[in-house]
Amino acid sequence: MPEVSKMKKPDVKLVLLGDMNVGKTSLLHRYTERKFKDTVSTVGGAFFLKQWGPYNISIWDTAGREQFHGLGSMYCRGAAAVILTYDVSNWQSLAELEERFLSLTDTANQDCIYALVGNKADLTDPRAQLSQDSDEASKDRMDCGEERTETQVLSACPTPPASPASLSGITLGKQVTPEDAMALYGRILRYKGLEEKSSLPAEKMCFETSAKTGYNVDNLFEALFDLVLPSILRNKNENQQSPTVDLEECRGAKRGRPGCC
Amino acid sequence: MSVKAFELVPAVERDLLMGDKARINIECIECCGKHLYMGTNDCFIHHFLLDEVTSSKGKLTYSAQKLLHKYLGLKKPVAELRAASALERLIVLCDGIVFLVDMVTLETVPSAAGGGAKIRGVTAFCVNENPVNGDPFCVEMGVISSKKRTVQIYMVYEDRVQLVKEVTTPEQPCAVSVDGYFLCLALATQYMILNYNTGASQDLFPYNSEDRRPIVKRIGREEFLLAAPGGLGMFANAEGVSQRAPVNWSESVIGAAVSFPYVVALDESFITIHSMLDQQLKQTLSFRDGHILQDFEGKVILASTKAVYVLVPLPLERQIQDLLASHRVEEALILTEGAQQNIPKDKFQILHKRILQQAGFIQFGQLQFLEAKEHFRKGQLDVRELISLYPLLLPASSSFTRCHPPLHEFADLNHLAQGDQEKVLRFKKFLISYLGEVRSTEVANGCREDVDTALLKLYAEQDHDSLLDLLASDNACLLADSVPWLEKYHKYFALGLLYHYNSQDSAALQLWIRVVDADLQDSTRSGLYEYIVDFLCSCSNPDLVWKYADWALAKDPTIGVHIFTKRPVSKDVTELNPEDAITYLGKHSQALLLFLEHLVLERKIKKEKFHTHLAVLYLERVLSLLSEAPADEERLTRARERLQALLRESNLYRAQFLLGKMENCEQLLLERATLHGKLEENDKALHILVHKLKDFSSAEAFCVWASSCRDSAYQQQLFHLLLEVYLDRNLPGKSQAAAGGGELEMAAVDLLNRHGEVFDAVRVLRMLPEGWSLQLLRPFLGRAVRASMHAGRTAQIAVGLAQSENLQLLHDRLKDRKKPIFVSEKKGCHLCHNTFSEPDVVCLPGGAPVHTHCVAQRVRDSPTKRQLTNSSNHT
Ligand SMILES: Nc1nc2c(ncn2[C@@H]2O[C@H](COP(=O)(O)OP(=O)(O)OP(=O)(O)O)[C@@H](O)[C@H]2O)c(=O)[nH]1
Ligand SMILES: [Mg+2]
Repeated sequence: MPEVSKMKKPDVKLVLLGDMNVGKTSLLHRYTERKFKDTVSTVGGAFFLKQWGPYNISIWDTAGREQFHGLGSMYCRGAAAVILTYDVSNWQSLAELEERFLSLTDTANQDCIYALVGNKADLTDPRAQLSQDSDEASKDRMDCGEERTETQVLSACPTPPASPASLSGITLGKQVTPEDAMALYGRILRYKGLEEKSSLPAEKMCFETSAKTGYNVDNLFEALFDLVLPSILRNKNENQQSPTVDLEECRGAKRGRPGCC
Repeated sequence: MSVKAFELVPAVERDLLMGDKARINIECIECCGKHLYMGTNDCFIHHFLLDEVTSSKGKLTYSAQKLLHKYLGLKKPVAELRAASALERLIVLCDGIVFLVDMVTLETVPSAAGGGAKIRGVTAFCVNENPVNGDPFCVEMGVISSKKRTVQIYMVYEDRVQLVKEVTTPEQPCAVSVDGYFLCLALATQYMILNYNTGASQDLFPYNSEDRRPIVKRIGREEFLLAAPGGLGMFANAEGVSQRAPVNWSESVIGAAVSFPYVVALDESFITIHSMLDQQLKQTLSFRDGHILQDFEGKVILASTKAVYVLVPLPLERQIQDLLASHRVEEALILTEGAQQNIPKDKFQILHKRILQQAGFIQFGQLQFLEAKEHFRKGQLDVRELISLYPLLLPASSSFTRCHPPLHEFADLNHLAQGDQEKVLRFKKFLISYLGEVRSTEVANGCREDVDTALLKLYAEQDHDSLLDLLASDNACLLADSVPWLEKYHKYFALGLLYHYNSQDSAALQLWIRVVDADLQDSTRSGLYEYIVDFLCSCSNPDLVWKYADWALAKDPTIGVHIFTKRPVSKDVTELNPEDAITYLGKHSQALLLFLEHLVLERKIKKEKFHTHLAVLYLERVLSLLSEAPADEERLTRARERLQALLRESNLYRAQFLLGKMENCEQLLLERATLHGKLEENDKALHILVHKLKDFSSAEAFCVWASSCRDSAYQQQLFHLLLEVYLDRNLPGKSQAAAGGGELEMAAVDLLNRHGEVFDAVRVLRMLPEGWSLQLLRPFLGRAVRASMHAGRTAQIAVGLAQSENLQLLHDRLKDRKKPIFVSEKKGCHLCHNTFSEPDVVCLPGGAPVHTHCVAQRVRDSPTKRQLTNSSNHT
């Protein structure tokens, strides 16, 4: 049997996790193809190689369906960043992250970073309804801090504002506020046994996006790429003395080739 | 939507295997080169020779020849067969026992003296195709035994098997595959990787092996293909990481194999073929009673219960062409690029380029220009392939022929656009931008003429602004092809530029002149006339200048003369001889004047001929204006001012000659005075100014002007002369007109009072008439007295200073006399720093000895010419 050719090895891995239908595939589409198209519920998983400067970043889109749940740990193995995705218009999708998906990340890297992404923001936030091209997206990136505070003010109302969708007759699950997400982020850190002080702050790691309009999508991915850069560099370093190569070398030594172990 | 990637070809038909015995089923197969072995449910092994036959049409068939069959004597189905060809053994699993059979005779190998050749209680085994132990005369085998939760590693030799390792597993394993030290196991509820050397394990994912038969298939170095829940084919490497996205099988997959770049899987009724490159389902073949699917040395073999088939891959190129034919550009490219490692490098590059080019043309045809361009670029398309689609763009002389087989199915643009003019335009716009981009890159190497000529034609036809830029810069447009094209679109200005670029300036000029003269219509360039003048101006061929300057001068002499006056001074432009130009300009008086002005006033050429000529022309103009009646005063004044300025400022013209020309012209007295002045006939000049013109201020100005470059004595003399003229009593007519006499006297007084400083006051006083009042001359006298006082005092100071210096020097001398002054060959002179060679020295004030010649030199150079004393002969 001929050897199956090896893939070009990516330098780092990002994984999108989250319940079915929250929009993981749509987010990845939006980022890589810059459009929002019809999707089918993902089967198994898929991945995309992103050239980021000199580095290859693989972004894995996983299947949210219960049936494929078991594969999650494997996808997360060796991940440098996990994007935990929920649907802002669906409270249950946030709860699922904690109940079902968090434990899958046990196989991720020790220093893996976690982002909480509330997708479909266009359904709850008027600002996310404007369709964005990349220029606007970059502008948005600058306004980011300001927006964050606004959101907080908005959601500081005692009762959540009536959702526009429910007014138009579509029933949605209870909405998720940014505070809910940030609280979950805190619990994730605790689950991982991480100090809040020495970890990336919740404000930085909680995003609200819309794959439909493109709102905050570039921002999300690019922020994460920047954050995993140290991981890439370390991977590159390790690759020069990676355990697999070591093994080969050992094997070589046994075969009598000049080895070095 | 499918690709034809494989063809199912029968290998061993039912009759050949079992004839009419209906209950016999195939249980397992092994293929090793041409040898095909088959295990059946009635405990037989069958041995066939399988030959590949290619028909004249290129169709592949197999012919099978039965060599042998052998009953193993266990009455149970043969569960597994594996060849160890180096040992000439088949490893057989039957009735839970692994044992060895001779590959040729199919005889069971008896146990050797040293150890057994049998393993009992086996449920499954696998052969390590990538063993860590490099011994070619043994085979490593992973074995699952029925009772214990263990995997055993055996070494298989020609006549014995030897247990080398045993590892325990957390659950009972049911399928195994091995690569290097890595066992990939299907356990009861999950898959895992287990390093049998270190014992380290890695869980992969859960899987219920009760529900579905697990599949553990090594597909390459440290990489496995596994059946996953939901009918997935999952990839996992030895580290427990998935590096490829899974493929989506049906739930009931029985067997799977990889035939790069495809994953082939078999279920109860279909063979499915997915691409590993994009995970898409590419082909489905219906296959009933499918039972076995395995790959042997790259050959995928399938078996139903009764017959054997080979899944023959179609040539990659054919698959790619099929994809392209159905316009599936992306898939075709993915397939091509995915095959990179399987094709020799140079062959791959040729294939890849061609596919990229074809892909580009498909997208081009669909007006996806951005993508097309990218593919053309990556595929290093010969641009002429593209140009040749556009009728008439390639030059007639081009040697280009389209590549064969063709890269696309289009005849030409018309065929492509089907008469849609808007489309045609978009195609043309694309070509314009594409050619514009590539013309200066290596893509255009070797066909620059074709590219530039095509671009020129497009620009001309589309009335594109860049036409001129193209022609004004480095280009390779072919003249013969471009001329009719540019003429057709009335781009005469551009055509001229092209002629010029091809060193046919004369043709260019003729063409442009016809445009200016409205013989031809081309509004490209406004101010074409000025352009032609500029062109001639910097034209390096004097013959052309002489030939076409006439036309330009006739059109507008003031601008036309720029041909001569604005010629840049540089090496590339030959200098025109000014005398020739003057001769040439003879018939264009206005231009001639401008040219002479240029020579004399701007370039300040010091040549008598030019100056005189210019002065004569000025004079002629003045005279002609004077002769007009009524005279245009304003023009006359201006003309005279010019004449006067020249007469005053130039010293080169022939004054006498000019004077002769205006001798009896009473209107040009001022000019005559100036000429007299030039001839140093100051008295005549002043006479004219004072007596004829009675213009005292001019007379004064004359004195200032005429003495301006002379010393003060000359100036004084001139002013005295003027004073004399004013005071001359002997002049006829003066006594008659007392008023006139008074006028002259007043002028004299004014002169003295205004220019007192230049006069010798004593001489003036002697000259003045007795009767003049002191009051009248007060400013003059006052200044004269003060000046004389000043001069006296200044002189006294100078005397005093000189005396004191003298004293000082005397003092120094006395001091130095008292002591000797040493001069030797080692001592340097303070002025020239050379040593002394003779005893004659001079001492500077302060006593430093210096050479006598150095002092002499210094005294000569010093402005005050001080005398140094202290000459000494001391040694
Ligand atoms: N309004 C809105 N709808 C979205 C957005 N993102 C995704 N959707 C819709 O949500 C549905 C699910 O999107 P997917 O991207 O397929 O979801 P997924 O998370 O990949 O789902 P699985 O693959 O099953 O795990 C689709 O109908 C999308 O059109 C969004 O930002 N706004
Ligand atoms: Mg999806």
